[in-house]
Amino acid sequence: MAQRNNKYDRQLRIWGEHGQTALETARVCVLNCGPTGSEALKNLVLGGIGSFTIVDASKVSAADLGNNYLVDWESLGQSKAKSVCALLQELNESVGAKFVEESPEALLESNPAFFAQFTLVIATQMTEAPLLKLEEICRQQKVMLVIARSYGLAGLVRISVTEHDIIESKPDNKVEDLRLHKPWPELQSYVDEFDIDTQDHNIHKHIPFAILLIKIAEDWKKSHDGKLPANVRLFKEAITARRRVEEDEDNYNEALKSAYIVLFPPSISSQLRAVLEDKASDVDASSSDFWIMVSALKQFMANEGQGEPPLDGAIPDMHSFTDYYIKLQKIYQARAEADVTAVEGHVARILKQIGRESSPIPRSTIKLFCKNARNLRVLRCKMLSDEFSSRSGPELQRLLAVEESSHPALYVLLRAVDHFAATYNRFPGVFDGEMEEDVSRLKSLAVGLLNDMGGGGASLPEDVVSEICRFGAGEIHCVASIVGGIASQECIKLLTRQFTPIQGTFIYNAMSATSLVLNV
Amino acid sequence: MSRSEELNQQMDINGIEKEKVLMVGAGGIGCELLKTLVLTGFQHIHLIDMDTIEVSNLNRQFLFRKSHVGQSKAKVAREAVLKFRPGVEIVAHHANVKNQEFDIDFFKQFSVVLNGLDNLEARRHVNRMCLAAGVPLVESGTTGYLGQVTVHIKGQTECYECQPKPAPKSYPVCTITSTPSKLIHCIVWAKELALAKLFGDKGQVSDLDVRPTSNEDGAVSNDPDEAQFFEVRSGENSKAYAERVFDRIFGQNIVTALQNEDTWKARRRPDPLFLEKVLTEDDVVTTNGVCSSEGTISASASLGLKNPQETWSVKDNARVFLESVQLFLDKRSKDVGKLVFDKDDQLAVEFVTAAANLRAHSFGIPMQSLFEAKGMAGNIIHAIATTNAIIAGLIVLEALKILSNKTKECRMTYCVEHPSGKMLLMPVEMAEPNPRCYVCSETPLVLELNTATATMREVLEKVVKRKLGVTDPVIMQGSNLLHESGEDIEEDMVAYYTALLDKKFVDYPTPITTGVVLTVEDYHQDFRCSLHVKHRETFDEEKEPEGMVITGDLASLNNTDASAQPSTAAPSKIQNGHAEEEEDDDVVMVEPVPKAATAGTKRKLEEEDTQPTEKRLRVTESVPIEV
Repeated sequence: MAQRNNKYDRQLRIWGEHGQTALETARVCVLNCGPTGSEALKNLVLGGIGSFTIVDASKVSAADLGNNYLVDWESLGQSKAKSVCALLQELNESVGAKFVEESPEALLESNPAFFAQFTLVIATQMTEAPLLKLEEICRQQKVMLVIARSYGLAGLVRISVTEHDIIESKPDNKVEDLRLHKPWPELQSYVDEFDIDTQDHNIHKHIPFAILLIKIAEDWKKSHDGKLPANVRLFKEAITARRRVEEDEDNYNEALKSAYIVLFPPSISSQLRAVLEDKASDVDASSSDFWIMVSALKQFMANEGQGEPPLDGAIPDMHSFTDYYIKLQKIYQARAEADVTAVEGHVARILKQIGRESSPIPRSTIKLFCKNARNLRVLRCKMLSDEFSSRSGPELQRLLAVEESSHPALYVLLRAVDHFAATYNRFPGVFDGEMEEDVSRLKSLAVGLLNDMGGGGASLPEDVVSEICRFGAGEIHCVASIVGGIASQECIKLLTRQFTPIQGTFIYNAMSATSLVLNV
Repeated sequence: MSRSEELNQQMDINGIEKEKVLMVGAGGIGCELLKTLVLTGFQHIHLIDMDTIEVSNLNRQFLFRKSHVGQSKAKVAREAVLKFRPGVEIVAHHANVKNQEFDIDFFKQFSVVLNGLDNLEARRHVNRMCLAAGVPLVESGTTGYLGQVTVHIKGQTECYECQPKPAPKSYPVCTITSTPSKLIHCIVWAKELALAKLFGDKGQVSDLDVRPTSNEDGAVSNDPDEAQFFEVRSGENSKAYAERVFDRIFGQNIVTALQNEDTWKARRRPDPLFLEKVLTEDDVVTTNGVCSSEGTISASASLGLKNPQETWSVKDNARVFLESVQLFLDKRSKDVGKLVFDKDDQLAVEFVTAAANLRAHSFGIPMQSLFEAKGMAGNIIHAIATTNAIIAGLIVLEALKILSNKTKECRMTYCVEHPSGKMLLMPVEMAEPNPRCYVCSETPLVLELNTATATMREVLEKVVKRKLGVTDPVIMQGSNLLHESGEDIEEDMVAYYTALLDKKFVDYPTPITTGVVLTVEDYHQDFRCSLHVKHRETFDEEKEPEGMVITGDLASLNNTDASAQPSTAAPSKIQNGHAEEEEDDDVVMVEPVPKAATAGTKRKLEEEDTQPTEKRLRVTESVPIEV
């Protein structure tokens, strides 16, 4: 236990004990263990997933030694899956390791049920036709799918899941919800204990800014027909008027910095609104805990919350005497606890309505949900078969016309090379002699593809087409390291249900060091 | 065609196998980088790292195994890679990159230098060496899901120090010794004062000791009796010693502090903690006799406290404190007298957690779990394998652009957590050198101090070493040498410099006062800058406690936000650790300023007046996490 905590200490600080447990119970399958697959898996094995299974029929060749760190000289000519599996096992002995020496394509045909045992499948270096089949199987069996591909100096990562609910989305800019615009009775009565015009300078400069803002807003309202200041400038002037310049008061600096939150308290984000309005929040016996909690949240907001989600109870650091700060902290925490209890009550009533009293949702789960209520996210991915259909043609056409970068073209061409491979039984550009012909073949395939999708007429930059041909389907280690790294990072976000994964197709261009997420 | 030839062709480079590269750092990024370099076709690699392998490295530093714990990172990394790719030449240096052996000529032999470092000081040093040797530098850092790669080429791009690097967080001495208001203050006290007093080098002069008023409330004071008090008395067993120290630092010292009525007029008075009240007869410390867990000596293991995420009760904190003191004396006696806090030292972390929590409790500050306290004490930076792998790939791509003379195409790339603006990797064109950078241009600085009281010793410590990052300073006034450091200095000069060290500036043969220009040089770093002295009588005790301020271009460099005070040298504030212990591997926090526009437009506008939106990305070294 101590060893485990030490080993994972640096990552526990990102995703917590519960995130680590989610990883440790995950069963991951990797299709093809070239550099991209091996790198992605290496990162997950180091992080401590429960187990992995590699599916790859190929043997280790001399070329593999040049781009894959997880095969060695001794394994030349042997099963690549076996060799990579053995070396990965060395990296972390607490991870279960298996391999299947079979091609993913063959396995998809012979044993589709094979995939049901996994939490997540990473499909690397696979072409369109088998991917479509794999996606269908994964969707049916509720297995998460991450697609990763390194192609010369280009890369692609795409997630496919039916629905992914995120409680801990951990956005970069966390909204501070202090309710300074409408203090509840317990907070108000604490505020009332303060005389912010006290002659004791030492106290004056140690009153927490939250108290100052409530008081000063209150005073303003008294002299302005109950209205708040019309803009932040006026409010700041009112704050400045109360500070003692000679005292260099940090609490007043903080009050000025946060003045806007009284006038512009956090609103309900569009993402949260989308979750609240989602049809899935009309729950029944088959609904997940997440949606039952969303339904309870709606009831809370309509009743006790008066339009607001539960308070998260966290307050920022404030320049203050410790005891003022701690009292304030306790008031916020007590309110947050009361909100959790209220939501818990709604959850219990809903469970009763849908006949699920026997399997309640633990308070700890409801508490985590309430704490993050403002940042709930639901991710639903389009199926590849839909994306590849005629519906996305016009959007692609638009992107090709407006995007200055090469990414939309790369997106089309990465599909076109699969069609090329289906037609010619090889990728473009693998024979130097046929380079020029391949360029025009690939171009006409790509144009045909766009036409089929209803995006005809769009032009593909000549240089990107020849660049893709020049890549000759090579899997270069440093690109694989980046693409595999990004794919494994997305896997961790999916498995821990923390942070928001990529929504759309991530396209990477190593030459220009640029990337773009395309939504088509 | 081999893969590396394939890549060479696509990148239009010839012969990367002939290029010689230097990697500094074999940690999280370093392991990935070494692997990626070799698989990209590099054949000649030098690797410098002074660290040894820790258990907490194993979640990402994949070249290392459990059996390697305690061995040199550079050497093990070299062996691990050679086992797989025997044909490559890798030279491993288990040494500090600041050592004299790595001089300018050493740096000159490389085509490019690749940094995977974990601290600001070494980054600055390598930056200067690269500038001096004229070798391009690729700099990198990660924390959690965030990462960045930047390219620095002398004369073409900004150098690593052209942009501000915020100083590590520091706290006023009196907050630490007398009036803590947050747990972090208690942690700094436990780590920098209590731990150092009990088990550290007694000869080491701590920041606290030089402060004249540090005795006033006697938290841990410095009179000779006090020093003796912390010695183990003859015939005293470790248990008796631990109990005696407990009552002194949590009990008697607080009682003494309470006598200073002024301090507590508007503050909550702390409660002294005496052992007999904290642990009653029924609570005698019972240990299970197993004082180690998997080979690590641990007080919580001995006491059966298994969950590091749980906050201990006051009684348990007292037990851990006593047990950890005893274990240090009984089982780690060879470390006593020279112990320095290390975040990977389980027993030291337990001692610091318990001591900080006990102090917090007496000051009415909420306590925290071992896990949280460890994070604060060690300024622990999040680190995972995925980001390091991505960053290492990006470093190699940038290096390849440099080697193929496509320096115009070099980018500074940020790896962000949430794809904002649809990008997960954000490339930014490299900026031009900052003409006001005191490192890569010859911009003078202004040093304000009280010349009637200031001494060379203070200036060296507070400004030259800590602020300017100079390792071996030479100070000159005109052509007169005032200070030199190094080994081969004549004896008479050593005596002369020593005599000058503590002399007031006004008493110098040629008095140093307003208008005098001091030159600071470091021959090793080939660094030089001028300090224009300006006399000033008074300094703000809170904001400028060190009594000297360095302004001018350095100040404007260090202040991105207009409300900030002129930058000050950090010293007589207590830092949470020293620069080198500040950070875990792979640091550097990336803070993309153009925020994802999730907030309402109105709020956004409002925010702008406090948080100026800049086009370019702002990069800050991480500061300790405060909870």
